[in-house]
Amino acid sequence: MITCYLKEGKFEEQSYQDFEEIARSVNTGREAFAAMPLDAIIQILDTLGKNVLKNPEINTLPGVSYISLWLRRENLDRICKVNYSDKRYLDGFCKNETNVLMMAQPRGIVCHWIAANMPTLGFFSIVQAVLSKNGSMVKMPKEYVPLVLSILRELPAISVEYEDKTYSGKTVLAAIAVVTFEGRSTEVSEKFSLAADCRVIFGGSEAVRAISHLPCRDHCETIIFGPKYSFAVFDQGYIESDGFKKALDAFVKDVAVFNQMACSSPHVLFLEKSRYPHETVTSWLCDAFERLPAALRNQQISSGLSANIINARARYLLSEGKNCVAPRDLGWTILIDQDINLEEPLQGKCIFTKEIGTVDDVIPLVNHKIQAVSIGILDPAKREAFARQVTSKGADRIVVPGTMHDFILPWDGIMTLNRLVRWVILKNNPASQV
Amino acid sequence: MPETEPVRTYGATTREKLLTQAPYASEDRQKEEELLPIIREQLKTARRNNRQIDDFFTKQGIDIETIQKPEDVPYIPVQMFKHFDLRTCPEQEIVKVLQSSGTTGGIPSRIPLDKATTINQIKALKSILSEYLGKNRKIFLVIDHEGINSPKLAFSARTAGVRGLSIYAKKTFYLLKEEEGKLSLNMPVIRDIVENYSHEDVYAFGFTYIIWTVFYEQLKKEGIQFTFDNFTLFHGGGWKKMQDLAVSKETFSDTIAEVFGTRPDRILDFYGMAEQTGIIFVDCEHGNKHVPCFSQVIIRDPFTLDPCDIGKTGLIEVMSVLADSYYDQAVLTEDLGVQIGVDDCPCGRKGRYFRFVARVEKAELRGCGDTFRESR
Repeated sequence: MITCYLKEGKFEEQSYQDFEEIARSVNTGREAFAAMPLDAIIQILDTLGKNVLKNPEINTLPGVSYISLWLRRENLDRICKVNYSDKRYLDGFCKNETNVLMMAQPRGIVCHWIAANMPTLGFFSIVQAVLSKNGSMVKMPKEYVPLVLSILRELPAISVEYEDKTYSGKTVLAAIAVVTFEGRSTEVSEKFSLAADCRVIFGGSEAVRAISHLPCRDHCETIIFGPKYSFAVFDQGYIESDGFKKALDAFVKDVAVFNQMACSSPHVLFLEKSRYPHETVTSWLCDAFERLPAALRNQQISSGLSANIINARARYLLSEGKNCVAPRDLGWTILIDQDINLEEPLQGKCIFTKEIGTVDDVIPLVNHKIQAVSIGILDPAKREAFARQVTSKGADRIVVPGTMHDFILPWDGIMTLNRLVRWVILKNNPASQV
Repeated sequence: MPETEPVRTYGATTREKLLTQAPYASEDRQKEEELLPIIREQLKTARRNNRQIDDFFTKQGIDIETIQKPEDVPYIPVQMFKHFDLRTCPEQEIVKVLQSSGTTGGIPSRIPLDKATTINQIKALKSILSEYLGKNRKIFLVIDHEGINSPKLAFSARTAGVRGLSIYAKKTFYLLKEEEGKLSLNMPVIRDIVENYSHEDVYAFGFTYIIWTVFYEQLKKEGIQFTFDNFTLFHGGGWKKMQDLAVSKETFSDTIAEVFGTRPDRILDFYGMAEQTGIIFVDCEHGNKHVPCFSQVIIRDPFTLDPCDIGKTGLIEVMSVLADSYYDQAVLTEDLGVQIGVDDCPCGRKGRYFRFVARVEKAELRGCGDTFRESR
């Protein structure tokens, strides 16, 4: 059974047995939408970002203020520029340095499988499809449907002027459908997959493997944002710098946002030996955790996760050479040892800290599962050398504390918008025929 | 086994006194006053005899002398019995290490026992069971196969139940048999029971899920019904599977009471674990589990870890003064329960009373954050 919450721009809950009618409506909607100039689309999204911030029913919801920032025109222009080199490719054939004209055509219908870790992930995925003029059928966790719909509900009221023409958010909305269905149902999942011209898959290892093995059409492109792991490393100079305590505040926010369920959430913090003993740095880290806003510090967790954290704390307290520093509740946990390795994630704001001789000690630990490495290295040459080494071993993003979750493309090493379009050519007539 | 070990005296109240008095006669406050001095002394001994436990206290900056409430006693999560030696007496005093198979992870819990602890456990269990069975020994029916009690098998919740409850048995019968890993009715034994023991005092034990899916199902097919004059069933475990089958505790009690020709209030669910052998928390006739005087139960909020208000579901912590040989003074389980009240259960038993809610669901990593290991 498929439940559709948004189709043809209408927010109505309807049940379907298959995706035929939903896909047809998205295809119809995307024809008018694809004819819109990209700049007009960006203008609509920019207005959407401003409007959600003004709407008191939405603006306090988690992640909405970041959405508003992310939808700013300058940011979207930058994303398009990075991905397409020139926005005009989306609106028609353009000349370039070769002999042919090139254009970026949308792939068609993008089917999105949204993971359950981040409430606003579905929206970010939709916007990427919008910026590539694709239609979208979005399967998302049921609990996040209301949030994403509440943002999309702002679209119909938006109209923008671009080159003397008026463009409406309704046109954008008509190319989007939001659905839920039981992911374990192979039959429905196969139908969803077969409806796609492009599949965008977010999720853990099992989910990604299962979805990517579903049958799909020969031309279908599959973009996978699979399971990843992130960590942080700070060098001596950074730890001894004046701004270090502020950096720790930023770092614990990276730990706290999404309660460590995102692929960009850090699980281990490596600290280069400095003039401050490990205990001192740990106590600063404790203070930073306690300075978190209550909404981030006291995020509810499942009783299963509680048990895992309680067990980890006890293991470290009972083990020689290990320690655990934590408050009485499960707001956050620091697990300390000297083993130079990465640790299996616990989630729920549990950070493993380890003292290292030099930041280079962590380089052998990096592999292709590593997404973000938050580095605290002030010396530019050392930073770049470190970044070159860890990215060559597989890491995708080298960032600074406080920015681990910033949704900047490329993500997971992928230029998403570029993958969401087909690059087509128009060869010029030979000069003799002109 | 002789029961003449020297009695260890802790504070004003001896543990011996707690083990001989009526198990549910003390009010909660009085019980806490009696338990805390004993526990404090036990914790001091534990620190002296086990460096890991000493570390556990030191790293948390715990001063035993300042422990004034049961909830301040540092709890050890039950999983730690799988990973650490939680012995609290000198090694040469250990007479047996109980290995419990458990239900998760495959690693057994290791529970070291000395003589005194074993005796205390037997005394405690006798004290609890006497409340429900009276003083006399009875015919004991085990709703399981005989192999479950084999010393060759790892100790499991099922084994613990059979061995523990057998202390009241004058004769034991196994009502099931196992062939090629499948359980079925042990018909010759069942016929013998029906024909010769219906008018005797009988009590039985079985694993809830097995009673329902094997014993009851097959009895129904065979059209067998017992007609005991005086019968009590103790059952426990497998409630998650029962929930999956949508069988409530009430349905279970009503149906099984009919099978044995007894009243539903003689079908007694109990809660217990191998790590706290000797203590079982048995349902009273009002469906509440009571805490005996040598034990305490704290329901902790799964996030704040503070004791929950009455009526709020949380993690079950069980406390006990029975063990000198391992850390069972405060064990945090991976079960959820709810405290129903204190000292005022209509059944008349004093102290806290609670209900089991569910096992904690195993937490799996959510989202796209994942292991750092590369897949092959």
